[in-house]
Amino acid sequence: MRKSASVDPGLAGLSRREFLRHSGGGLGGIALSSMLAAESMPRGSAALLRAAKCKRVIHLFMAGAASHLDLFDYKPLLEKLDGKPSDFGEPVETFQDGLGPWLKPVWPFAPHGQCGKLLGETVSPLGKHVDRMAFIHNVVSKSGVHSQATLLQATGFLLPGFPGAGCWASYGLGSLNENLPTFVVLPDHRGFASNGVKNWDAAFLPSQHSGTVIYPGAAAPIADLQPHRAGDFITEASERDAQALLAQLNRNHAAAREVDSRLFARIRSYELAARMQLAAPEAMDLKAEPLHVLKLYGLERGPQQWPKEINDEEEAFYFAQKCLTARRLLERGVRFVQIWSGNDNSFPRRNWDSHEDIRRDHGPLSHGMAVGTAALIEDLAQRGMLMDTLILWTTEFGRMPSSQGGKGRDHNPFTFTNWLCGGGIKGGVTHGESDEWGYKPLDRANPTMGYDIHATMLHLLGIDHQQLTFRHNGIDRRLTDVHGHVIQPILS
Amino acid sequence: MTKRLAYLALPIVVAGLAAQAAPVSPSVEAHAVDFMRDIAPIFQSRCLICHGPDKQRSGYRLDSKQDAFSSGFEHAPNVVPGKSALSPLFRFVARLDADHVMPQKGDPLTNDQIELLRAWIDGGAVWPDDAMVKAADPLDWWSLKPLVKPKVPTATAGGAAQNNSIDAFVCEQLAKRDLVMAPVAEGRALCRRLFVDLTGLPPSPEQVEAYVRDASADKYEQLVDQLLAQPQYGERWARHWLDVVHYGDTHGYDKDQPRPHAWPYRDYVIRALNSDMPYARFVQQQIAGDVLYPGTLDGVVALGFLAAGPWDFIGHAEVAEDKIDGKFARHFDRDDMVGNAIGTFASLTVQCAQCHNHKFDPVTQADYYSLQAVFAAVDRADKPFDTDPALARRRATLILEQRKLAAAAGNLDADLTVRGGLPLASIRQDIVAAERAASQGVRPEYGWHSAIEALPESRKWVQVDLGAAVGIGRVVLAGAWDDFNGIGAGFGFPVRFRIEASDDAEFASVSQVIAAHDLSDFANPGTTPQVFAGGSIRARYVRVTITKLAVRKDDFIAALSELQVFDAKDQNCAQSAVVTSSDSIEAPVRWARQNLTDGIYPAATGGGDALLALRNRRDAQVKDLLDAPALALRAANAAATAQNTNAIAELPPQHLVYAATVYEGSGTFRGTGGMGGKPRPIYLLARGQVTQPGPLMLPAAVAALDPLLPSQFMLAPDAPEGERRAALAQWLIDPRHPLTWRSIVNRVWQYHFGRGIVDTPNDLGRMGGQPTHPQLLDWLAVTFRDDLQGSLKALHKLIVTSAAYRQSSSVANAAAQRIDSGNTLLWRANARKLSAEDVRDAVLAVSGTLDLTPGGPGWQDFVVEQPEHSPHYRYDLSDHEDPKTWRRSVYRFIVRSQMQPFLTSLDCADPSIRVDKRNECLSPLQALTLLNNGFLLTQAKHFAARVLLESGISTAAQVQRAFLLVTCRMPTTTESEALIAYANQHGMTNVCRVLLNLNEFIFLD
Repeated sequence: MRKSASVDPGLAGLSRREFLRHSGGGLGGIALSSMLAAESMPRGSAALLRAAKCKRVIHLFMAGAASHLDLFDYKPLLEKLDGKPSDFGEPVETFQDGLGPWLKPVWPFAPHGQCGKLLGETVSPLGKHVDRMAFIHNVVSKSGVHSQATLLQATGFLLPGFPGAGCWASYGLGSLNENLPTFVVLPDHRGFASNGVKNWDAAFLPSQHSGTVIYPGAAAPIADLQPHRAGDFITEASERDAQALLAQLNRNHAAAREVDSRLFARIRSYELAARMQLAAPEAMDLKAEPLHVLKLYGLERGPQQWPKEINDEEEAFYFAQKCLTARRLLERGVRFVQIWSGNDNSFPRRNWDSHEDIRRDHGPLSHGMAVGTAALIEDLAQRGMLMDTLILWTTEFGRMPSSQGGKGRDHNPFTFTNWLCGGGIKGGVTHGESDEWGYKPLDRANPTMGYDIHATMLHLLGIDHQQLTFRHNGIDRRLTDVHGHVIQPILS
Repeated sequence: MTKRLAYLALPIVVAGLAAQAAPVSPSVEAHAVDFMRDIAPIFQSRCLICHGPDKQRSGYRLDSKQDAFSSGFEHAPNVVPGKSALSPLFRFVARLDADHVMPQKGDPLTNDQIELLRAWIDGGAVWPDDAMVKAADPLDWWSLKPLVKPKVPTATAGGAAQNNSIDAFVCEQLAKRDLVMAPVAEGRALCRRLFVDLTGLPPSPEQVEAYVRDASADKYEQLVDQLLAQPQYGERWARHWLDVVHYGDTHGYDKDQPRPHAWPYRDYVIRALNSDMPYARFVQQQIAGDVLYPGTLDGVVALGFLAAGPWDFIGHAEVAEDKIDGKFARHFDRDDMVGNAIGTFASLTVQCAQCHNHKFDPVTQADYYSLQAVFAAVDRADKPFDTDPALARRRATLILEQRKLAAAAGNLDADLTVRGGLPLASIRQDIVAAERAASQGVRPEYGWHSAIEALPESRKWVQVDLGAAVGIGRVVLAGAWDDFNGIGAGFGFPVRFRIEASDDAEFASVSQVIAAHDLSDFANPGTTPQVFAGGSIRARYVRVTITKLAVRKDDFIAALSELQVFDAKDQNCAQSAVVTSSDSIEAPVRWARQNLTDGIYPAATGGGDALLALRNRRDAQVKDLLDAPALALRAANAAATAQNTNAIAELPPQHLVYAATVYEGSGTFRGTGGMGGKPRPIYLLARGQVTQPGPLMLPAAVAALDPLLPSQFMLAPDAPEGERRAALAQWLIDPRHPLTWRSIVNRVWQYHFGRGIVDTPNDLGRMGGQPTHPQLLDWLAVTFRDDLQGSLKALHKLIVTSAAYRQSSSVANAAAQRIDSGNTLLWRANARKLSAEDVRDAVLAVSGTLDLTPGGPGWQDFVVEQPEHSPHYRYDLSDHEDPKTWRRSVYRFIVRSQMQPFLTSLDCADPSIRVDKRNECLSPLQALTLLNNGFLLTQAKHFAARVLLESGISTAAQVQRAFLLVTCRMPTTTESEALIAYANQHGMTNVCRVLLNLNEFIFLD
């Protein structure tokens, strides 16, 4: 609806870097300015000196704790023990009453790809990509409580108040474009997971690194992108003239205050806002996709009337819609997209926290996730984007090999599964096995921590995780706290 | 880019030379290695602890040249000048020798440090003969030195005569760089700056005009006094304080539950500031007001400080304290209290010592856990209190009487126990066993549970649909069982109710009464099913209407486990019947409407009638055992107890504040109240792991400061827990404390100038900044502590009346710009961007809609969906036209997990972290917020309406008035013309929207 504003010649005096410091991003300002304007790299950017294997990240987060045992980590022993009283040979503390009889995988497992990776039937759509994926079955959390464990996987800390992984990527690398946010979050269509925005907001990092929430397909997919309904007095013409008038008045004001670069940066931010108003709806317009792509994602029919209960078709639609939106955003220069499956912990279950019935909740959720993710991998591969896009699948912890007396499983922070795919990842491998039950890592002395996953992610982005720091209340904070090792065996 | 090479931040103290940390990263190749600058600090920080004057491991020390080049048993000489590869010292630190790796403790040296050592040795290992490397003195850091009042500089080289000592210090620093202060800002700018700075609100154009026209010499001082006396001053500065203490109105974490009683603490802060409470008392009350100021309102509500931060509800309420995750939750709970107390008042980052000794500041792990021990007895919970001291006394008297009566009853009972002998003992045992069986037999399907109400008189109903009209023989209501708040049997059983039957599902037309217990209280029957004769009434629906709810905690509910309707054939026609109700907390498995007719209720699994019979038998025995006087005594005690109970019940309800308190709970969140508030044992946790407890820790403060003030509290072993907190409070406010007084004056300075004298107000330690004006900081700290007696208002006045504060912000001074582009020396004022709350409050003020009602529960600009489990705070459903949301921003109900979008976009503080300094960004998303957010657009309409009302229909007059309101000045002709042209085309509301987006509105000169 509006013309894109050109860069104002009156902004001389405000260097690109100065502007970026105000609006683009910390270290990121450096990276972006060097990319766009070939300015020399300043000193002190040691964190960025590695060769990047990938430029972008898609972070898939299954809220509520997805069961590794029913999706990715096949345990034949459980088939045999099913229904017998569980015995872990040591005392176990579970969150609820999680030490009921052993419970076999809810779905049959079958081999896929050249590597023969066994997948639960419910995620079989991912089967055609297993040779591109690296599985880690010995990921360990430090907490069996949803909120803390979710924060740990999302921010690297058990407490709220730390920047999300995408914020660090934004802070470290900056934006690949000026018209869209650097870090975008696509929440579950039902709402936020536990901790809400604390899983992805900037905390102590400058706020421009915060995840920007987008609800694909919603009436107002990005907050305040277009005038609120109270702005019924705004027309296309009034808007166009408002931008011009505002720029004129602000320039007059700034002319007498040349020492303050912020005034010019703010004028510039309005120009960028106008550009974002054009760029964002275009990026989110899935109707612009050709039919064969919509079919690939199963989105050719658009939203339907679905039953009230959680169901396969609805989950597949919403998850695929986020996946396709993510691809379009990445294509247009968004650096980091986080896709959530699952709302908060409540009744009826609307996330992966299947204490009562794995099949009832995990069935639709995992089906939807697998359909959308498989299409996304295919699509990125076809476009040549998979080679420099990292896909990371995670959840806050896994679920127990024993039942809670019925059809559900309790929390298992002792081991669970993550997988990675795409830029710099060796496909078809499994690194870090769990034990025969999928209860703890097979090698308890050498588990994989979320820190290692984060270190590996930053490494692939060309960042040394130990060097990317921000001082807050006396500590040089980093995504990996004081931990983290790059997981070399899964790198290509 | 805040990362610095760590060793540059370490203390560098070398004999004869007090080197300052170089602000730039050294490139080893770029300059020759200098022993004093480059090498001595490495030895000092990483080597001397084992190889210095105190210890000489392997006989080696390297504090003097001679020892360094000669000592060290079989490895000597450790340094071979010119040959790093042959020098053991280098080989060990460079890890070239697997058997000898140095330093043995802590991280390896950094690559830069290793390279410096290599370059130094290869360059001949030049060590000036007289240079000694001194062991680091832990207190050798500016902020840990005793506070001494510096002499005020007398030279006036920096500018005009200085009536204000602040200016003497500032000018002295400026003069050193040949700089001078900028001229005083023009009146309009100064007036606007002062209004916003002191009250958070812009002045009206009339106030600015009056100020500018005022010819009196002391008009500025008068304005300062006038603004400091306004209640808006406390609101403004409380907002700063709430940033630092990370105040919020919800818990955060999972299921982010509201804290409806957090606000009394927020109001306390405002009240304390407005009454200019001496700072020492302000500190004391927030840590131990209940102990140091007993019987006062402030003494209780101030404790909201300790509970201000986030709290892991699930980690407490669903995970018991003896589980690992439960221990972690409580560890982090205390950690947050320690961080808040020490970080806020002392600006010391003690939390860094959680897993190991602090790497940079003199805080040991033992110090950290000693501080945790201070808070070992308290939890975060709603703390009841009376505001009226007389009432508090009456309540205390009644509770004392209650205890006495209970003791007397116990004595009477002891006598009875003797008389009753085995038979009575055995029946009592049976009752206990039956009660236990009844509770243990409870199935997880508890029953139906109404919504929770603040008052017992809320009306509720629940009914069953029998499918067709049946002749009702009897109706049975079975009480539920839930040990929430220790209630157990009869949980939520209606206190007053009616049972009715009708063929109309709405009970709108005729209904017939089966039972009416709505005029007097129905004794709680526990889980014993209550039978009501049906009188063969024929009807399809049976409804229980509850007119008085049962008490739950501080609130009221109704709950029933089972509702049965038996027909003439004694068949339960309500089994599995559809249940409807006025409301219901649907929380399966335990609570659900359908549980009311599922055939599962406690009495069915034991207890019930059997229990009742046992109790009757016991009562009969007692009657037989005692003589008349004894029975009379028992009866008198029972009567007095009932009277006492009634008297307590009749007292006006207590107020609540969410605060640190000795909490007595049930279930997994028990607190220490059940143990009489005995502090939990706190152990030093190896690597911060709750699974690795070490020695038991006693409450104490930071031991390294002992040369300045004692850190040990010297409390009796059984001292009440409150004495621990009182001791910490006293330690913090000790006049000898090196940090407390520097911390607060630095914070205040920062809010006035936009930058602290130390730029890291939450960290005055070695990872923090250095003061730009160290003498000024110490002078302010001592002046505030002694001369001003801790009066913040006096401190404000001192600061804002300085010439430094009153400077113009927009001077062009190329020389100064070159020498000090960041303006750390204050050669001009810093123009400031309005904070998020400033913007919002200013929008309301200029739109004429601002509601200045002070205090009370926070206003909410969201709609809560699904409050039972995980509330969804829906800001997008907010009604921006609701005048309740037009109050000042400080009174907002602050949600942690779903932060308010408008203010968050404008960089308001994150209530999950202790914020000493707001971030400031100018992003496109912020521009979109100010252009398009519903709040702003709604206010633009009100703004336009106000302008029309005040200026009449002339567009020119409206434009002029609107511009004046936003900027406090008249528009220029060019500005007027542009705005009028725009107004003529698009209307005044669009003009108002543009004006609220002006840089001149968002920035203060």
